Amino acid sequence: MVLTDLVHGGDEKDETPNGVRRRAVLALGAVVLAGAGASGCGLLDHEPAEPPPPDPLQPLADDAVRLAGLHRAAASDFPERAAVLTPIAEAHDAHAKELARVMATAAPSPAASASASAAAGSVEDAVEALRVAEKAAYESAVQACLKAPNHRAALVGSIAAARATHLEALK
Amino acid sequence: MTGELPAALEAEYAAIFAYGPIGVKLTGGEQTAARAAEAAHRTLRDALVVALQGTGLPPARAAYALPEPIVDRASALRVAIVVEEKAAAVWRAALPATVDTQRRQALDALTGCAVRATRWRRYAKVDPITVAFPGKAPA
Repeated sequence: MVLTDLVHGGDEKDETPNGVRRRAVLALGAVVLAGAGASGCGLLDHEPAEPPPPDPLQPLADDAVRLAGLHRAAASDFPERAAVLTPIAEAHDAHAKELARVMATAAPSPAASASASAAAGSVEDAVEALRVAEKAAYESAVQACLKAPNHRAALVGSIAAARATHLEALK
Repeated sequence: MTGELPAALEAEYAAIFAYGPIGVKLTGGEQTAARAAEAAHRTLRDALVVALQGTGLPPARAAYALPEPIVDRASALRVAIVVEEKAAAVWRAALPATVDTQRRQALDALTGCAVRATRWRRYAKVDPITVAFPGKAPA
């Protein structure tokens, strides 16, 4: 449209009210383009890029990594309970991996949680500490499931339910 | 809210049906657990009947197919595990079709089924007693 006007708009026509309006439109377009160019440069050259907001599932993934480490440490300290604790640690690993997949972030390595320590004297104290951690993580997962968009509800719901079964398994 | 809740209702009818013969073959604490499980499924069924009122909800059938005949304690425990796993699956499938209060109900139902399945696996000495993603079909 603008190009057509430039090509076909002769001198005679430019003296008409329509011609004046065309020139005004062209001038306005130039100002808008200049403004857009300037603000684009400003974004690129002077302002740091805004980091994307964290995914609402990130705290759930962080919990999973932390809990995996706690269970692995307890299984190492109390081998007699490893038959229950190791599958729970592996479930948390699987949760962390699946959450990373749906958030499209890098999957955490199991080693990331290796430094966790149960630091509890008796097996009863260690299991009780795990129960407290699982209960808090279950409640976080329930809230996350209630807020989750439909396409994430089943995954987050399964994770909440799994954490509840860990509480049962730790009885 | 399309076919997910009627499917959950079907699974609840089937669970209530199965727990009758299951309870007969169990004793002591296991029988108490079976009765409590049956009561929990009746509560879930009743809530679904209310939620589906006026939608032409499926009526309960006279009998439901069991995954295997219940002839002794071991088969009763195996069927109880399967019943809870199947119910967990339909409740998990209902989650994406729900919001707010109904999602909370579906999540609590999924969680209850998953916890009971864990309890039955412990009684049956199935190892491990937990699964990573309750209600999700194994990959």
